[in-house]
Amino acid sequence: MKKLKLTAMAAILTTTLLLGACGTDQNEDPGTDNTSSGNHVITVYSAGPGGLAENIQEAFEAETGIKVEMFQSTTGKILSRLEAEANNPVADVVVLASVPSMEGLKSENKLQAYQAENGDSINPDWSDPEHYYYGYSAAALGVAYNTNQIESIDADWNDFSDPEWQGRVTMPDPTSSGSAVDFLYGLTNANDDGWDIVQNWIDNDLLIAGANKESLNAVITGDKDVVVSAVDYMTYKAKHDGEPVDIYYPKSGTVISPRAAGILADAQNLEGAQAFIDFLLSDTAQQMVAEAYILPGNGAIELNDRPALNEIPTLPVDWENAEEKQIETLNEFTSRN
Amino acid sequence: MIIRKHAPFTALFILLIILAGAPLLAVLGYTFFKNGTLSFESLLTVLQDNNIIKTMQNSLLLGLYVIAATTCIALPLAIIRTKTFLVKKDWLDIVFIIPFMTPPYIGSMGWILFMQHNGYYEQLFSSEAPFTFFSVPGMVFIMSMHLYPFLYLMLKNALLRLDGSFQEATLIYGGHPIINWIRVVLPLLSSSYVMAALLIFIKTLAEFGTPATFGKRIGYDVFITEIHGYLSRWPINISAATSLSLILLSVCMIIWYIQNLISRRYTYGTHSGRSISSSQTKDSLLVRIFSIGYVLLILGLSIGIPYFSIVVTSLLKVRGEPLSFSNLTLSHYTELFTVGSSSLQALLNSINYAFIASTIAALIGFCIALYVGDAKKKPQQLLDFISLLSNIIPGIVFVVGLILFWNAAWLPATIYNTNWMPILTYIVLFLPFSVQYTKSALSQLHQSIYQSNAVFAQNNWVILLKVWLPLLGQGILAGWMMTFIISMRELVGSLLILPPSVETSATYIYSQFEQGDVSKGMAMAFITVLLTVVCIFLIEIMQRKALSRNE
Repeated sequence: MKKLKLTAMAAILTTTLLLGACGTDQNEDPGTDNTSSGNHVITVYSAGPGGLAENIQEAFEAETGIKVEMFQSTTGKILSRLEAEANNPVADVVVLASVPSMEGLKSENKLQAYQAENGDSINPDWSDPEHYYYGYSAAALGVAYNTNQIESIDADWNDFSDPEWQGRVTMPDPTSSGSAVDFLYGLTNANDDGWDIVQNWIDNDLLIAGANKESLNAVITGDKDVVVSAVDYMTYKAKHDGEPVDIYYPKSGTVISPRAAGILADAQNLEGAQAFIDFLLSDTAQQMVAEAYILPGNGAIELNDRPALNEIPTLPVDWENAEEKQIETLNEFTSRN
Repeated sequence: MIIRKHAPFTALFILLIILAGAPLLAVLGYTFFKNGTLSFESLLTVLQDNNIIKTMQNSLLLGLYVIAATTCIALPLAIIRTKTFLVKKDWLDIVFIIPFMTPPYIGSMGWILFMQHNGYYEQLFSSEAPFTFFSVPGMVFIMSMHLYPFLYLMLKNALLRLDGSFQEATLIYGGHPIINWIRVVLPLLSSSYVMAALLIFIKTLAEFGTPATFGKRIGYDVFITEIHGYLSRWPINISAATSLSLILLSVCMIIWYIQNLISRRYTYGTHSGRSISSSQTKDSLLVRIFSIGYVLLILGLSIGIPYFSIVVTSLLKVRGEPLSFSNLTLSHYTELFTVGSSSLQALLNSINYAFIASTIAALIGFCIALYVGDAKKKPQQLLDFISLLSNIIPGIVFVVGLILFWNAAWLPATIYNTNWMPILTYIVLFLPFSVQYTKSALSQLHQSIYQSNAVFAQNNWVILLKVWLPLLGQGILAGWMMTFIISMRELVGSLLILPPSVETSATYIYSQFEQGDVSKGMAMAFITVLLTVVCIFLIEIMQRKALSRNE
């Protein structure tokens, strides 16, 4: 009796495995396996921004006929995925919201250089001189505020240490927001008392929770009154949607955080990847960048209802070899927080 | 003959090793082997980090607090549901499961939106909350409101089982009812309670949603957020993540071992006297009012408030404006169901993955349950233990292992970056559900069935089709549904293993909070939970049918 039962089970199990195997053949999406599907698919790992990335993907697919497999996530998750997949790489193009992380990839020989068609029209400050990556767009980091709760404001960075602002300020968490690290790095490099300013904010009950969108949400819902180091295009978008928020750039200057794209050294579809970079820097895509309230890498593109790069007071930031210094910045911040 | 005799064991064993064993070995390997040599460096570095001690302390304390809080909530509830006139209201149990089925990060987002400055509380009552909610007690409260149904159901079932003869004996021989209770019922409950409490502890350690949203806000870091952080934050540190995973794994193993010791020592045969509850329905008015009040209070806190926030947020036109009818819209729901939209695709993906995963898990679970049977032999015990591993090991440890294992350079083929990866992950994570449900259905069968099988059956297929499937069908189906529901809302694994271009409803909701439109995320959350509740009702109806047929 026992034997019968066992044999029956073995039979079921075999059937299961066979069924599973059949399922594999049928369900296999031709797109998911891009080693075999030639030049018609590229895989792009893109750190946002949601919406724009999808629009660019659609336009690129329509223009070139190359299908894009897009993995949208944050800079950190993309880097971790690349690391985990080191043994069987799948991505062709990587778009990160942080130039120092791009520098990091470059120094580990994970990128390859490519002289893009429109490369010269792109802001050289945001791109690699050896063409390993291009800063195709950038966000400026400002102070976003809730217009229902604040009528007018022109406070500078160190003013947020005043008792007046106690418990009313939030900031994106630098451990999950690449632009917030850029901001801390820029602020503390340009000002000798940069860390004192940050420390005073923390002592003034600064709320540090979540990435950019989450901190902006705290201001939209009125939980807090201002976001320091707010990503400007997100604020313009929310303002456009009717939310009671606006943004300004403090007089003493702020940080511009470029978003860069590059081709991975292990890219399987090199031609497709190059076509994608060319497209990203083309006027069509740059126009789409501007429509999303983001600063395009090509300064000649007309902007959409937002201040131009030269109207924003900036702090001098040197991105060269910034990766190590940014890790120091991050460690310094977490030790103070 | 020998091969044939061992075939079922070998097949199941190999399957389980590929599913659950290999990922754990991959975690061990990544931590201890650097370039082919044994090294304890990464583990030691992690251990020397001051924050780790603090994180460990946070995690363990949180677990203890949550056990205490869930006990305070669940014990009175279990007593009310077994001793008062509410004993017959079985539909209440379905309602009580809703908080447990709510994705925890959605529940805590609901609470955050409700309690924050200028949140819904202040808008409704036009005054600030009289206490600070954003603190560790607040976090314990939210997590307990999510986990109490688990403890409640276990305690209730234990109480139901000991009714009858024990009660009667104490009535006859005992003195004061309260002393009877303390001296007889509580000790008898202790074994069930310890088991449930330790499972609550492990679930608290493994929970990602609340620490990631609420905990981050109050700066309360726990293991699970640290591991996720090492894997997803710049700069990436995978070996730190695997080291932490190992520590977490050891903690859970120790807890599991303690639980085993305790339950072995304190298990009493309470099943013997099968005189089903002689419940007196003559409750005083005071007891009635208190019972109803308590049930309503708990339901209001665990379902009412979070769902109020979720639904309101999903309906808001402009989130920065106060609540009013002119500021409400259904547009987020219509966008959600627009054909071809990423949201609808995400929902369909979730349903697909959950469907395939739960079906395969049900099949494997069925085989394992049949093989394990009463778990008297060593191989049976071994299989039983491996199949239930993911009950005692937090999901993230498996997920890390799965990523490492399926990316190993020596594998001839990999399912990584295909749709099979999330399916496999869900199977690994939720296999215990189907195994346990089938096993419990099996344990209710009478010995005579085996004997009549042996006498009358023509062949194995007949036994399978005519005997096992019809008899175990309800249990398998219940396990299937449970796996389906939980797979639908799985977050932390999906965040890390989904192939490019693919989203599930859970990751869709999460990314709406991270980058997109919170209202849309909440609309999706509401739809997902609605689907879940429908599923729970179906399970309940089926179980009731099965019961009425058996009687």
